[in-house]
Amino acid sequence: MMNAVTRAYLRAGSQTVSNVLKPATVASAQVQRNAHTDLQVPDFSPYRRESVNTPNRKDDSAESRKAFSYMLIGAGAVGSAYAAKGLVTAFVSSMSATADVLAMAKIEIKLSDIPEGKSVTFKWRGKPLFIRHRTADEISTERSVAVSTLRDPQGDDQRVIKPEWLVVIGVCTHLGCVPIANAGDFGGYYCPCHGSHYDASGRIRKGPAPLNLEVPAHEFPDDGTLVVG
Amino acid sequence: MKAIYNTLFKRTSTYAVGIMASVFFFERAFEVGSTTLFESVNKGKLWKDIKGKYE
Repeated sequence: MMNAVTRAYLRAGSQTVSNVLKPATVASAQVQRNAHTDLQVPDFSPYRRESVNTPNRKDDSAESRKAFSYMLIGAGAVGSAYAAKGLVTAFVSSMSATADVLAMAKIEIKLSDIPEGKSVTFKWRGKPLFIRHRTADEISTERSVAVSTLRDPQGDDQRVIKPEWLVVIGVCTHLGCVPIANAGDFGGYYCPCHGSHYDASGRIRKGPAPLNLEVPAHEFPDDGTLVVG
Repeated sequence: MKAIYNTLFKRTSTYAVGIMASVFFFERAFEVGSTTLFESVNKGKLWKDIKGKYE
């Protein structure tokens, strides 16, 4: 093992040797190397670990020394994995809808404001939303309709959660006009553009429209409120 | 130390799995710890501390 000090000493020594030898016998400029067994290797023992201080000692501490190094590297890896996860999460969540968009995506309606037999229009996600408080009469009429006679066969119980409340999007499935409430041959909705008649369950009964009025996802968190969206 | 090295650090597979598993615990501990520190430094200024005045 050579360190910087011994190497510099060797170089200096060989130069002096070759300078002495050159004019006399050796014609070539080859550097002659001598043994220099008298050189003192500096003592590094204050800098060495206790376990490897003596070179002749059998080294049984390698595993614990490696364990320490790997522990430090592993701790760094854990920290950077946590940081990377935070970074990726931040970028991915920046792609989701913003809070103002999410706030507009839901509408909460107080049901006590809507009298029985009335259909009220709200604006929801840029579209008209019809909430209809149906009378017992209307409910029994819609329940008794034979599903097989309908153009878009859907039972009334498939379209409403609570029978008193019909929630539909007020866009005619024909060409997208807004139907008029409480009009038409079936007492529900009537589209003035091309004469589609919907019943009090929002189902198409007469006219050009191919499908029933769309029922959005809605729920009743308690007796007095309705949340659409 | 020796046992940890031989069981966990010696193979890259166990080393990587060990790192991934400890990230979960580290994340939880770090986030709970930093939230607790933040709340103890800002005690009295947070909404949950002054909520009672406005209700």
